[in-house]
Amino acid sequence: MTATATGLPAAEITRPRTVLVGTMFACAAAFMAFVGVVLYYVSERASARANGEEWFPDGVVELGPAGFVFATLILSIVTVQWAVQAINNDDRKNTFVALALTGLFGAAVFNQLWFIINDTGFALNASTGQFLFFVVNGTFAAFLIAATAFLTLTFLRALVGQFGPRKADNVAAAAFCWNTVVAMWAIAWYVIYVTK
Amino acid sequence: MTMTDSPPATDTAPSVTSPAVAGLYDALTTTDHKRIGRMWLNTGVLLLIGTVVLGVVIGFERLDADSIDIFGGENAFFQMWALYRVSLALLVVVPLFIGLATVVVPMQVGSTNIAFPRAALAAFWGFLLGAGIMIASVFAAGGWGALDRATADERDAVALTIVGMAFVVISLLLASVCLATTVVSMRVKGMTLLRTPLFAWSMLVATSVWLLTLPVLLANLLVAYVDLHNGPGTFGGGLNGSAEIWIQISWIVEQPQVYAFVIPVLGILGSVAPVVAGVKAGRHGVSMALVGLFGLVSFGAWSQSFFQFDPAASVAYDEKFVFVAFGIAALVPILGFFGGIADTLLRGRDNVTGLPPAHLLGALGGGLMVLAGVVAGVVRVIEPLELGGTITVSGVMNLVLFGAVASAVGGVWFWSSKIGGNELSPMMGRMVALDFTAGALLLGGAQVVNGFFDTFDHPLAVPTEDIADALNIVSLLGALLLGLGALGLLASVARAMRDGESASDDPWSGQTLEWSTVGGSFTEAPALVTSETPLLDASDEPSDEGEES
Repeated sequence: MTATATGLPAAEITRPRTVLVGTMFACAAAFMAFVGVVLYYVSERASARANGEEWFPDGVVELGPAGFVFATLILSIVTVQWAVQAINNDDRKNTFVALALTGLFGAAVFNQLWFIINDTGFALNASTGQFLFFVVNGTFAAFLIAATAFLTLTFLRALVGQFGPRKADNVAAAAFCWNTVVAMWAIAWYVIYVTK
Repeated sequence: MTMTDSPPATDTAPSVTSPAVAGLYDALTTTDHKRIGRMWLNTGVLLLIGTVVLGVVIGFERLDADSIDIFGGENAFFQMWALYRVSLALLVVVPLFIGLATVVVPMQVGSTNIAFPRAALAAFWGFLLGAGIMIASVFAAGGWGALDRATADERDAVALTIVGMAFVVISLLLASVCLATTVVSMRVKGMTLLRTPLFAWSMLVATSVWLLTLPVLLANLLVAYVDLHNGPGTFGGGLNGSAEIWIQISWIVEQPQVYAFVIPVLGILGSVAPVVAGVKAGRHGVSMALVGLFGLVSFGAWSQSFFQFDPAASVAYDEKFVFVAFGIAALVPILGFFGGIADTLLRGRDNVTGLPPAHLLGALGGGLMVLAGVVAGVVRVIEPLELGGTITVSGVMNLVLFGAVASAVGGVWFWSSKIGGNELSPMMGRMVALDFTAGALLLGGAQVVNGFFDTFDHPLAVPTEDIADALNIVSLLGALLLGLGALGLLASVARAMRDGESASDDPWSGQTLEWSTVGGSFTEAPALVTSETPLLDASDEPSDEGEES
């Protein structure tokens, strides 16, 4: 260890987990944006109910399809963590399979979401409730697309050998981002589809 | 090199003959945190001048809004009033602190560069683009929704204002991610979180609060934008945009959220005071906890009029217990922090000879204005006084935000050798710092008092008492002083850039790692950190007796 100009010994070089930490901060911000949109929904629904107004027509917003979305996302948590575990073990084959499966689940969720929105037959300007239904689901879809893009980029970079057990943070960061999106749906599922 | 790797922090320019082209190329491609920080600071100063000028004109029209019409109608006056408030918080105070932190924080934590330097650069350019769109659209009959809900042409301009503001917020969030990540993951070996210098810590707290609250503003903007285009009109989208858009976003310039923008004031004061006093600050951990607590009570994303979860209770958001509790609780950490600063300055009073330096005046004056603002905020939440909705709300905002500007001025003078390398005029610095402090006191203080005479917090409100007119004149004088301060700041910086003398690397005998850099860069590996004041520990001179670490 060499001495510095201050007379103190020089510090050792650290290995920061910069990408993972940065992703965590960004995901926290994204999560709060989603929470902000959901709070509009909760607040306006409370007002409507307090005034005795109808929020959604009966039987239009169903729990079943939303539950399938949630189930698919829970499965994707398993696969994305599988990818993290695999890259830490330098198991490239399993990393690719796990990341590809997660991406596939993401596409499936997007498809299911599309079905749910079309199935309701809601219009954006029909009522405050229907408007916020679109905004909450649309915001979730936007974050889902962003997380899928991050995952795809991670997959491609893993494919060309940029990640390994000594550099697994990017995969962990993509996984954290994905799990944040799942947490967003957990909120949307409960607020919109369970309590309606 | 992968996309997320940090490139070397060097300024590179193509082999072109024109210095202007080379400068532009450098500004568009640099990954040097000092250069990026300077761009934030320069932009912040220019926007400060614009904002203060706008404030002076608004103050002048407020003297007699019935007969004076500078902006061309009530709606335009309202939009400019709203622009002034948004600008002061998001286009001036936050960028000034981000600029200062982008330069100083990496050095303080012993890192050679900021985390994600290209993202930090993108954040700056995104901010500039967003600010340009937002300001231009307001001048093009946009803003945050028409008062009269009459003009169809305003719709696109209102949408553009929302888009510009969203750009600004996203850019500030990106810059916050870079700074927070730098503090969390790029600290040099030995620098535990508890040994982080106070300014770096305050920036971590501030950026964390910004990252958790400004996204809610994005949610406000998203809902307003979609509603404006094809929604039911519930959220300000009806009849081409109504002022309800402003009602949804105005929480960012009201307490407690407005306190979140001034958290770094405590960090600057906590960095400047021990260096000026020449002693080690006592109880670093307690100071950190107090800054963290102040950050906690400044979390204000919940305090908005559209978030009503119990409509049957019919209680406005600013009359609820939690709002009152947050307002009062904010005073506790800031009073505790000032107690520590007073202790530090008293212990080192023998080391301060002659006129106090500009950085102390700025940091202390700004800090005191923030303290005054928080005290005014406590008064504002006392329900029997019924100050909610009065101009006292604006008074709190002006006190804390211009206090923050004064503090940033102190920070710029303190770290000038790290920012631009040139020495800033000490006398000019004292004048600018005192000017901002006095201006904030006159402008904000008069507005706080004015609220007691039932003057509403609206640009078109007509004062009901004669004394309210007199207080409006005092506010205008305060705004004029702030204008002089802004011009003085610009003149000082311009003069230092043109023919200022090169400053020494450690002109104040600093205590933290940034003062061991040469020309703003570490020429060798940073020293091993064993306390929050590594340079003080390394110096031969004994520190103040009886101190506590």
